[in-house]
Amino acid sequence: MHTTSWHSVSMTLDECIKCNICTSYCPVAAVTDKFPGPKYAGPQAQRFRESGQITSPDVWVDYCSACRVCNEVCPSGVKIAEINARAKAQIVHERGIPLRNWFFGRNEILGRIGNLAPQIANLGFHNPVSRLMAEKILGVARHAPIPHWSTEGNFRAWFARREKLRAEKKVAYFHGCSTNYYEPAVGKAAVAVLEHLGYEVVLPPQNCCALPMLNNGEFPAAEKLFRSNLKKLAPYVDRGLPIVGTSTSCVLVLREEATEMLDLENAQTQALKAGMWDISEWLRERLEQGELPTDFRELQMVVPYHVSCQARAHRMGRPGLDVLMLIPGLDVREGNAKCCGLAGTYGYKAEKYDIAMQVGEDAFRFVRAQGEGVRYVTADSEICRWQLEHGTQKLGRHPVEILAAAYGLYDLDRRQLLAEMK
Amino acid sequence: MLDLIVIGAGLSGMLAAHTAARAGARVAIVSKGLGALHWSAGTIDALGYFPDEKTPVSSPLAALPMLAPNHPYTLCDAPAAWREFAALTHACGLPYAGANADANLWLPSPAGAARPTWLAPRAQLAGDLARAEPMLIVGVRGMRDFFPELIAENLRKQNHAARAAFVPLEVITARHDSNSVQLAHALDDPARQLKLARELKKIVQRGERIGLPAILGLDNHPNAFQTLEAETGAAIFEIPTLPPSVPGIRLNDALRRELHRLGVRVDVNMDVRGFHADGARIAFVESETSGQPLKHRAEKFLLATGGILGGGIQSDPTGKTWEAVFDLPLTIAPNRGDWFRARFFDPAGHPIFRGGVAVNRVFQPVNAHGAPVYANLWAAGGVLAHADPILERSLEGVAIATGVAAGKFASQA
Repeated sequence: MHTTSWHSVSMTLDECIKCNICTSYCPVAAVTDKFPGPKYAGPQAQRFRESGQITSPDVWVDYCSACRVCNEVCPSGVKIAEINARAKAQIVHERGIPLRNWFFGRNEILGRIGNLAPQIANLGFHNPVSRLMAEKILGVARHAPIPHWSTEGNFRAWFARREKLRAEKKVAYFHGCSTNYYEPAVGKAAVAVLEHLGYEVVLPPQNCCALPMLNNGEFPAAEKLFRSNLKKLAPYVDRGLPIVGTSTSCVLVLREEATEMLDLENAQTQALKAGMWDISEWLRERLEQGELPTDFRELQMVVPYHVSCQARAHRMGRPGLDVLMLIPGLDVREGNAKCCGLAGTYGYKAEKYDIAMQVGEDAFRFVRAQGEGVRYVTADSEICRWQLEHGTQKLGRHPVEILAAAYGLYDLDRRQLLAEMK
Repeated sequence: MLDLIVIGAGLSGMLAAHTAARAGARVAIVSKGLGALHWSAGTIDALGYFPDEKTPVSSPLAALPMLAPNHPYTLCDAPAAWREFAALTHACGLPYAGANADANLWLPSPAGAARPTWLAPRAQLAGDLARAEPMLIVGVRGMRDFFPELIAENLRKQNHAARAAFVPLEVITARHDSNSVQLAHALDDPARQLKLARELKKIVQRGERIGLPAILGLDNHPNAFQTLEAETGAAIFEIPTLPPSVPGIRLNDALRRELHRLGVRVDVNMDVRGFHADGARIAFVESETSGQPLKHRAEKFLLATGGILGGGIQSDPTGKTWEAVFDLPLTIAPNRGDWFRARFFDPAGHPIFRGGVAVNRVFQPVNAHGAPVYANLWAAGGVLAHADPILERSLEGVAIATGVAAGKFASQA
């Protein structure tokens, strides 16, 4: 078996045979001339970025959305998306970072600030005048689906004040910034499902996974965040407690992306890789071990399932689908769109918003094709759900929310636990 | 529980999965990447040269009995499998046909050389070099990797009437930089098909047939082809391009749609690197993920990972070779010096390409004593020993014949 070092990013450069399959499947190159395709931005241009070069020769690598479709289809195992990410970091290192991208990298801080007074923050930011100004001054696309701060308090506060299930079997939960500040309902549904399985949920201290910084080329700052998480999660990993996450992109960064991009392969990162799970993946594992309760209520509805590029990048199959297919009455339809377009913070940028919407058109069309009666769409990544809501006007839900509803624990429409609605 | 897991999503893996699924088995495919069809000319080469590269085969059917007893073709009913494949392509809306009278077709390559093939998609058939009509080879000015003057000149050297011409890129796309797949997507648009047809009509002369780079649509290919023939009044043929190759992608997509219809799940980007056997039975295979390895369980497994060029057989600089998933016995010489002949273009080919996994008459990998290595494992395609797809021009023919055979035996066992 190959070691990860064999696969280390720069080594894979020489495996490129210039076949152009990546360019043929790249959703961004398909819709714009501004990005010439992964082969050119990645393995080809990389030859001009070797040490000793004065500056990077290209700026169009900035138009790579980091969706990783190129990695997925490459027959030679070239880590094209990572090569591009490193090139972006080199440009940031040489020329500095635009203020907007600096903000995007700090979504956790933005979440925390907005969380102090969410109504005011929502009103202050999410109004046409502010959004127009943000576009003109900062370059934040005014129509992009930037989430609203949760007005029900953050997830950790909710978790701290509720009465927990105490049990022998324990599982640690990594909620990520989006669940904590924008969509606490996803975390509530996850906790309800995990407790329904008879597990006690523990909440490790945690911080932003660093994905926004990695995507915007801020590698030194990203490394600080990643190392901080490593330290905070280590006691749980050492105790053999599985850590499950509902944000599939956070899980990907913690298990693999940060280690690879920042070249941090060691025993500690290896242990985290083996100890962390996407929640659907972990539930599928329970199913295979015969531990998943099947006391489902019937859910008579059609739900389009968009397979997020972040979820595909795990190479774990489609566990969300495997689990949802158990629910009687539920007709889950799997789409084959390559990417929703939003891709982290990509579609939030004014100059990239139109590209992101064009890329997303395949996913939107798939959702629309499932009929007028469709109320919800599901995807493992919050970014995709927000983009699908924006592009189709359906309601985006995490697979675990649908599962919680099927267990009779959760109101899918109001996004509340039934136990808390009385 | 699945009945069968096929490892590999190339032509042989897809045909094996299709055959087993049609026989009623619950089948899934796991694959490291997309199959080599993305590089393929989209034609089905069965047997172009035998016994060496200086001796063209006029009819593969007539030559089959001359092959060695351990050649994969000798182990199965290849002509029946090719007929089944042709029928399948008709059912998928991407009809393939061959020359009449059981002979190989000779079609122009992207360099204008003549190359033998057994079955070709309809859009390539009018390129048959046995036909007399003069050829107008049309390039797209600004398209990379397609050179009509080179093709026409080489065809003339072989005594075929041919001339070259160009149409401007903006007929097809407003973009300045596109590869063949992006141009093919652009030509899915009926308005652009008509625009191209009008340009061709201006330059084609009476009695000429028109050769174009293989970019005539992807999802809407049949319509693109019909529109061009109807509007120009000339026979149209595609010439395969350098990779990525649109005719190969069309075949890949058609087969994937067919598999989807049969309920065969295809997971790509899953690199199978380990397995567990209880005695002589394989219990599961494991693929690499971002976290813990993923187990894939089934009653039976079918190996279709390709040969030494496809990744199914690995080698290192010390001369070690190994089969990538199950570490099956290989027929490859242990000494690197025996892998190659001294000359790159030696007409007798290089021995390494004949090496691979030996199988019995039901396509189960066997050891040196001829006994099956695992009770529930079958193999097909490039990973098999005793065929040289490069010398013989038999890559797709072997993939189809052995894929169908192994899929059948696996589903019946």
